[in-house]
Amino acid sequence: MNTPIIDIKDLSKYYGKARGIEHVDLQVDEGEIFGFIGPNGAGKSTTIRILMNLIFPTGGSAGIMGMDVIRESKKIKQHVGYVPSDANAYSSMDVFEFLSYCMHFYQPENGSRRITELSELFELDLHRKISDLSMGNRKKVSIVQSLLHNPKLLILDEPTTGLDPLMQANFFELLRSENRNGMTIFFSSHILSEVQMLCKRVAIIKEGKIIKLEDIDTLRKTQLRKVNIEFGDSNNAEKFSVPGIEQVIARIGNILSFMYSGEINELVAILATMKIANLTIEEPSLEEIFMHYYR
Amino acid sequence: MNRNLFFKEMRRNALGLAIWMIVITLLIAVTMSVYRTFLENQSKITGMLSLIPKGALQFKGISNFNDLLSVLGFYAANNVIYMMLLGSIYAIVLSSNILLKEEYSKTAEYLLTWPLTRTEIFLSKLAVLFINVLLLNLVTSLAGFICMEVVKTGPFSIKAFMILSLNTFLLNILFGTIGIFMSTLVRRPKPITTFSIGLVLILYFIYTLSKITESAANIGYLSPFKFVSIDAINPAYKLDCWHLLYFIGLSLVLTRLAYRFYKRKDIYT
Repeated sequence: MNTPIIDIKDLSKYYGKARGIEHVDLQVDEGEIFGFIGPNGAGKSTTIRILMNLIFPTGGSAGIMGMDVIRESKKIKQHVGYVPSDANAYSSMDVFEFLSYCMHFYQPENGSRRITELSELFELDLHRKISDLSMGNRKKVSIVQSLLHNPKLLILDEPTTGLDPLMQANFFELLRSENRNGMTIFFSSHILSEVQMLCKRVAIIKEGKIIKLEDIDTLRKTQLRKVNIEFGDSNNAEKFSVPGIEQVIARIGNILSFMYSGEINELVAILATMKIANLTIEEPSLEEIFMHYYR
Repeated sequence: MNRNLFFKEMRRNALGLAIWMIVITLLIAVTMSVYRTFLENQSKITGMLSLIPKGALQFKGISNFNDLLSVLGFYAANNVIYMMLLGSIYAIVLSSNILLKEEYSKTAEYLLTWPLTRTEIFLSKLAVLFINVLLLNLVTSLAGFICMEVVKTGPFSIKAFMILSLNTFLLNILFGTIGIFMSTLVRRPKPITTFSIGLVLILYFIYTLSKITESAANIGYLSPFKFVSIDAINPAYKLDCWHLLYFIGLSLVLTRLAYRFYKRKDIYT
């Protein structure tokens, strides 16, 4: 069995008494595009910051490419590219100076050519001062610096913030292309649609704990169904209750909408005894599945 | 140490260093330019100085009015204060920001995620601090030396001048290590420049107070300024081994502690 490229075991981080992450277990295989999703404050950045050795865990361990993220941090970073969520580069430098500065730490072959190629792809003006750039352009600079040395693993923390839709599409296309060439991508975001577009597997983090680790397709094919019933009588909408209702989405007049994880036949059998004006049972969107886990 | 980081950091701090060099050099030049006038009016000035409390003169390293008649005594009493105080402010401002600015300007997200160890980062920044403080001291001491050569009316002890300069340099380095040590204790990424300058001024005030108030003489030992002897005109003036040990020892201890804290510090941006 191959060693996972990211191997997190029972990882915890507390900020004093405040919870950062708790007992996180996560493995990312080489060559995959892995989504890491959760709202702000869920623990995504804490996990990433431990992987990048910016902060130290309170408990557990984390490894990249079979190496410990604390003890062998320098070796790991030779093969990792990182895009931080806050793209504040050295504001006194111009773009070329910053990218050259970064490149000197890696000493890659054809580094200058790589700067030119990636800058052209992201339409970056190499001679503009970083302090004069918009947030989106700073993000592009950050993305370019992460790719200069052709890393084996790319860790992205909210990478699309500030990018316009066209640039986002280019960026995703580049990620797919780099992935086809063997790059593993760890993509952290709170925007489900972009994770859905790009990733094969996803971990959902809530209040510092991984609550779901699944293939995107499996997640979609969950047992969970969204049921919308229009009763003939509004009293029934108010009283209706069966085992398997996970979450009531709406109960307005004679209309009831809910997430259901029970047996469909049993539900239909109960409904058959009632006066129903309309009934729809549908597969929930990924957004709704996500929200379900978050309630 | 990492050369790429070291040279980039030297360039980033070059303008600040040049400004400090120019300001201190100008202050020295202006003060030394009045030395000849001072000699010409010595009888009036001696009369004026006799009205100043002895303690206040001692604090400036003047044990005898005649000390000021010597060019080195005049230099030590008037200029070393600039180099001690301003040099220390420069050193602590530079050092308290040299690591911390990467955090509050959020560039640590890059620097610490490039293939560098924290040891390399710490040593590169420490080398920048040491070299900047050394250059400031070399240039300002050289300026002082040239000024003395220009205005002197008789020979002065170069050995005493060198000891004086070395003491000032060691004091500046100590404040540099205090700054870097404090910055590694800061948890929230915010500049501590005001606090650092305040600390130097408070320690200088303590030193001043201990010099002019006999009952407060002992509190002077709380201040590193106390361990710099500026009585350069005294024939017994020499390099005090205990003072040397104090500066070097304390600087090394603070540097070691700062390194230890930085190695395990959670970096927030």
